[in-house]
Formats: sequence, structure tokens, C-alpha cells
Amino acid sequence: MPYQEILSAIPTPVVICSHQKKRLLFVNTPAATLFKKLTNTKRGVSYSDIKIILHDFSPREDSGQVNSFETRQPVRGKKAFLWLEVITSTVMQDNEIFTVLLINDISARKTKEQQMVQSLEQERSLHEMKSNFISMASHEFKTPLTAISSTVDLLETKLQMDNLLDQFYRHNISKISSEIFKLNTMLDEMLTLSTIVSNNIEVSKQAVAVEQVIHDIKYQYFSERKDDRVLQVAVTGTPRKIYADKNQLSKIFTNLVGNAFKYSSENPAVKLQYQKSRLLIKITDTGIGIPEKDLPYLFNSFYRGSNVASIEGTGLGLSIVKDFVERNNGTIFVESQEHRGTTFTIIFKYPQETPA
Amino acid sequence: MNRTILLIEDKPSLLDTLKSLLELHQYRVIVAANGAEGVAQARLNQPDLVISDIYMPVLNGYELLELFKQDDALRKIPVIMLTAKTEIEEIDLALEKGADGYVTKPFVFKNLHAVIQKILNKGTEEM
Repeated sequence: MPYQEILSAIPTPVVICSHQKKRLLFVNTPAATLFKKLTNTKRGVSYSDIKIILHDFSPREDSGQVNSFETRQPVRGKKAFLWLEVITSTVMQDNEIFTVLLINDISARKTKEQQMVQSLEQERSLHEMKSNFISMASHEFKTPLTAISSTVDLLETKLQMDNLLDQFYRHNISKISSEIFKLNTMLDEMLTLSTIVSNNIEVSKQAVAVEQVIHDIKYQYFSERKDDRVLQVAVTGTPRKIYADKNQLSKIFTNLVGNAFKYSSENPAVKLQYQKSRLLIKITDTGIGIPEKDLPYLFNSFYRGSNVASIEGTGLGLSIVKDFVERNNGTIFVESQEHRGTTFTIIFKYPQETPA
Repeated sequence: MNRTILLIEDKPSLLDTLKSLLELHQYRVIVAANGAEGVAQARLNQPDLVISDIYMPVLNGYELLELFKQDDALRKIPVIMLTAKTEIEEIDLALEKGADGYVTKPFVFKNLHAVIQKILNKGTEEM
């Protein structure tokens, strides 16, 4: 059976040509149909049509070499185009090099691919918009919030100066203040959770002195309290740095110490124990404790203990804490007894000493 | 003698309230609505302390700090930054650029006042 008959039976477009003599040797029916579609005429396929498809692609001349490429070809006279996948190989015969081309019309696949890329891009930009919106909103909300809280401070100061600050005003002013700061905490938690959910959290680890972070958050968030309570900090062992994200460590401790203040009425304590191979951080309060049945679910988003009904919160704090601890290769666990108090323990291993 | 505080904040409502609060606490207060105005006011009035927002049009808080540190007449004036950003890096950046203190928004005035007093008293001790 002559090779032409075999190749004609192949449903994929096949072309054989010689670049040396600039001539076509063979074009099967599917190839002829494809080129009619491309040239938008009824004339037969010419060598120049093939040259256009190959444009600057020059097939390797060593025999048996297989190459493939994708090309976008305009349909003459129309605003359409076809995506073609071209597979070439060369055959040497009687000192003439022949190029065999297998051409696939991959337009449908390409269109789908492009649609997918487009919708992925769309989704990405929507995601970014959402994340930007939450970040923008939580930042923008703080501006009026700050103005409100300062105005409350102003009213309180003026009332005090005019000797009008009685129990009634004091009580209600402090109520406004505490609600403002609750709203602020919620905004911060929402922002943090949105960055975690969108997985935009970048962990930038460095050598961190944990006692410095504790000192910073104590000064920034837990000093000058209205109820005069203070955070007690104790350090044992020789301080060593750990390898972690400072910003995330700060959020972890701010949240746990904040909880310790929120759910107790005495002074909470942070104990840093620098042991031989690890740092143990214990955050302890002597407050209402956590019922045993709640302990397994404590770190789940939006889960709150069954005994916190009257104390406000979003149920997001501890899930953020756990996520951050684990991102920094630490472990966290909780021990608690109702009406006795709660201790959260975080363990960080020291960075491996690189052997000299 | 009353100490002079230059207050730089682009939100008029907050600027107004903070000005009143500081005045009730016996400070002389000069205001500016952005960093550029703030630098001009600082050169003109030589305040004892500057309290500045970070995110402002025209000249932001970081740029303000840079200008202050390059200017012989302004370099020694302490600056407290007010920022809604609670991220540690933001605060680190402000301190790195020479801020003497920071308070995150929203704040309790008592806390801001404590920072003001700490910085102003430190200045007196050194003199």
C-alpha cells in the first residue's frame, strides 16, 4: 500500500514538504480542509501556506528529530484566528530532507484555557478586592472611632473640671469607652482572620527576644488600666532568642494576655522558662476557667466557652493564636479548671545551632 | 510656663477634639492639617513637642520625621506618632525614623497623656 493512502486515512492533518526545493510532497484531506479554512479560498494548498504556518520556526534537519510548537494563525479576510499545534519531524531520502508536519487544530482547547485563565484572574482580583476592602474598612472605621473615643475623653475631662462627674456620668461614659474598644478589637480580629483565610499572611521569621515582645505589648496594651491591674512577668533561665515572626508573636501574646485580663479579676501572669532546648511560655490567670466539655473545641473559629455568655468576644482570637503558633513551629495547649483559672502553654524550640 | 504642642492631623474632627483635650490639660496647642503645614508651623513656633498622624495627604508622618531629622532647627523636637496601624513593623519603622513615642488609634487620652508627660519630663531632666 503506498504511503499516501495510509496517510490519507489519518483523520489529523498531515503535510510533507521539502524546504530545499520549496515544494509540497503530500497533503491529506484533513490538511487541505484546514488550509481552505485558513486561507478562506477554494484553491489548493501551496508551499507558501506551509511557510506561513512555520514562520520563523526552522525544523532541525537531523533525521528523526521531532519538534512541536503552538501557533496562532489569522483566518484570511476574517477577524478570526485558529490555534494550531504543529508537530514536525524530518526524514532524509535520496539526499533530500523532507519535513513531515502533523497539524492539530487546538482552537477549542485554547479558548477554554483562556477562559479559565480569565476567570482565575477575575477570581484573584475579586479576592484581592475583598481582602483590600476588609483592610481598608477596618482602617477607615478606626478614624471615626478615634474621634468618638477622644470626644468621650473630652466630655469626661470637662465634667471632672466642672465638678459634675458624678457616678451616673462616670458609669455611662466608661460604658461608651469600653464598647468603643470592643469594636476596635473586633475590627483587628476581622482583619487578622481575613488575612489568614486569604492565606496572605507572610511569615517573616527572624531572631526574636520574646521577653522584649512581652515588654512591648505590656507597655502598649496593658498599662495604665482603669482597674489598676497589671501584667506580672517572670523569667527563669538564660534568655535566648527564638526564630519567629515578631508581629505574629505580638498578636499571640496580646490575645492570650487580653483574655487573661478579660476572664479574671486578678493580675494575670506571663512566665518565660528558658529551658535547655526550648522556651516554655505560660500565660496564667485565676479567673472563671473553661468548662471541661469546651476544651476540645476551644481553638475552633467562632467557638466560645459555654460560661462566657455575658463577656463579649468574637470567638476568633484563639483560632488566630493557634494558627500563628503553628506557623512559627510552636505548639500550644491549655489547662483549665472552672472557677480556678486557665493556663495556656506555648513551646518554641530554639533554632538549630549550625555546626561549625 | 505652658508647654507648646504642635498637633498634626488631617481629620478635622479629631484635630478639634484633641486640641480641646490638650488645652484642658494646660498645653498651648498649635494645629496643622498635614505634614507640610506641620513642618512650616514647627519652624515658625518651635514647639516643645509634636504629635503627628502617620497617614496624611501632602506629607505623611514618615516623611515628616525625615525632614525633622535633616533640619538642625527641628531635630531636637520630640515627635509622638499617632497611627491606626497596629502592625509592629509600622511602629518599628516610625521609631527607626526617629519618633520618640507612638500611640495606636483609637486610644484612651490618659495613655497619650502619659506618653506626652514622659517625653516632656525627660527633656527637662536633661536640661
